[in-house]
Amino acid sequence: MSQPTARIALNRVGLRFAAAHGSGKSHTVLQDVSLALAEGEFVCLLGSSGCGKSSILNLLAGFIAPDHGTLEMDGQIIHGPGPQRGMVFQQPTLFPWLSVRDNVTFGPRMAGLAADRYLPEADRFLRLVGLQDYAEHYPWQLSGGMRQRVALARAWLADPQVLLMDEPFGALDAQTRLSMQELLTHIWQTTRTTILFVTHDVDEALYLADRILIMSAAPGRIREELRLPFERPRSLEDLVADPGYGKLKRRILHVVREEARKSFSGVAA
Amino acid sequence: MNSRALTAADALSRRRTTNTQPSLARNVVTWLRRRKYALISATAVLLFVLLWQLCGSLHWVDALLLPPPSEILGTAAELISNGYRQTPLWQHFFISVARASAAFVVAVGAGVPLGLGMGLSPTLAAALNPFVQFLRPLPKIALIPLVIVWFGIGESAKFFLIFISTFLSVVVGAAAAVLGVSQARLRAAQTLGATHHQIFAFVVLPNALPELFTSVRLSIGIGWTSLIAAEMVAANSGLGWMVINAGSYLRTDVVLLGIVLLGLTGYFFDWALVQLQRRFVPWAGKDA
Repeated sequence: MSQPTARIALNRVGLRFAAAHGSGKSHTVLQDVSLALAEGEFVCLLGSSGCGKSSILNLLAGFIAPDHGTLEMDGQIIHGPGPQRGMVFQQPTLFPWLSVRDNVTFGPRMAGLAADRYLPEADRFLRLVGLQDYAEHYPWQLSGGMRQRVALARAWLADPQVLLMDEPFGALDAQTRLSMQELLTHIWQTTRTTILFVTHDVDEALYLADRILIMSAAPGRIREELRLPFERPRSLEDLVADPGYGKLKRRILHVVREEARKSFSGVAA
Repeated sequence: MNSRALTAADALSRRRTTNTQPSLARNVVTWLRRRKYALISATAVLLFVLLWQLCGSLHWVDALLLPPPSEILGTAAELISNGYRQTPLWQHFFISVARASAAFVVAVGAGVPLGLGMGLSPTLAAALNPFVQFLRPLPKIALIPLVIVWFGIGESAKFFLIFISTFLSVVVGAAAAVLGVSQARLRAAQTLGATHHQIFAFVVLPNALPELFTSVRLSIGIGWTSLIAAEMVAANSGLGWMVINAGSYLRTDVVLLGIVLLGLTGYFFDWALVQLQRRFVPWAGKDA
């Protein structure tokens, strides 16, 4: 699957976690996982909880190291975390001692850029996420959805080549989630940053992705790959009316439910 | 989540209603409601003092065993003008505050960096922890004979006793504060390109600040309690010395006056630190 032109790739990666309290048996989280993202691609990684999809992001971010296989970015082996690979977590994980503007500019400030180079860009991103009037506020004065928008702007302002997103809208209510999905596609269409987006929400994946990878659990593997035929820009209303949407959703749900059944019976046995 | 914004909106709407219907009674009610708990505290203290006074005035309790507040006020006035054992009351007070403050400043100044270092370096923590954990729960009064032998009976002995109890507690608190940083926050900073040093300076340190303030508050409380132990060391002034000395002459009014002043001063130290904490770490206890 991996090509030399891939922006970011996993090649035959295996990952094991040691069992708790030294019972001796470690368990396999990922087995022989390969995937590659082309530059500018938006890929959703879909799977039930515990299938290892977050581990794939943690590997690519450089937080953990694989037991087998390699991780590459632009042909270079990934050794540890770095600003080329930005991450948006399920929780906003903002810095409460910094104002919204200082949170958003954290990346460029750590890189030692001059203020006049990043401030216009920061204001542009704050406008994009609709928080231009909240620049001087502190994170704890904002709602959950607003905080996650700050986290989006912060990740983008560090100018990553790849954005890794770990169920970033999972903790939000349904309405907020929809507007965040619209916002995300809107920003992505202007920046064309390569995005790997982890979710367990089938509709979210269908709305956002160019390509969906469905994972199978225990051990985690890529089970199926689907390329979405929908034109961009997409509107959720048009998408739901598209006959292809229903067919794809049905097919994905079938696989996802089969996986869920498998993992339940696995727990029972 | 949005509580601050909501309370601001509430306050605004409340103000609007009071403006359209100006009423003194309504303003008084809002004022009372806003200070409800402060008023409850004040009432409780007043009732207690009243009861205490009645114990003396109605001769329920011998005034020698429990001098009433009126007598303590009289004693205060007398000590302010005539002094206790040739030393004016304010001088006893300031000597104690000065001794404690000097020890606090040095203990916090040295304890915070050392604690931070222990929090960051498991090696340093492993090397120092046996000593810190041995000395910290040790009753500092047990050290007095040694301290006198080492430092004599001057100011340095008193300084050392207050310093050591504050310092050990600050060290332990600061080490724990560093470890309180969440993995998610560290990872967020890493993906934003922060280096090791930057993560320490711009994430770990500010993240530890609320807990650091709390541990300094607790440590200063502990340090202030060891003032008596310090002033047992051949002093001839200070609130702690005054209490001990008055006790041996059965001057319970002076003893109680000293206790009230010691308590109020400790209360004030704590209050001042809470104000600093509110000013410098307004995010304490709030998630983001």
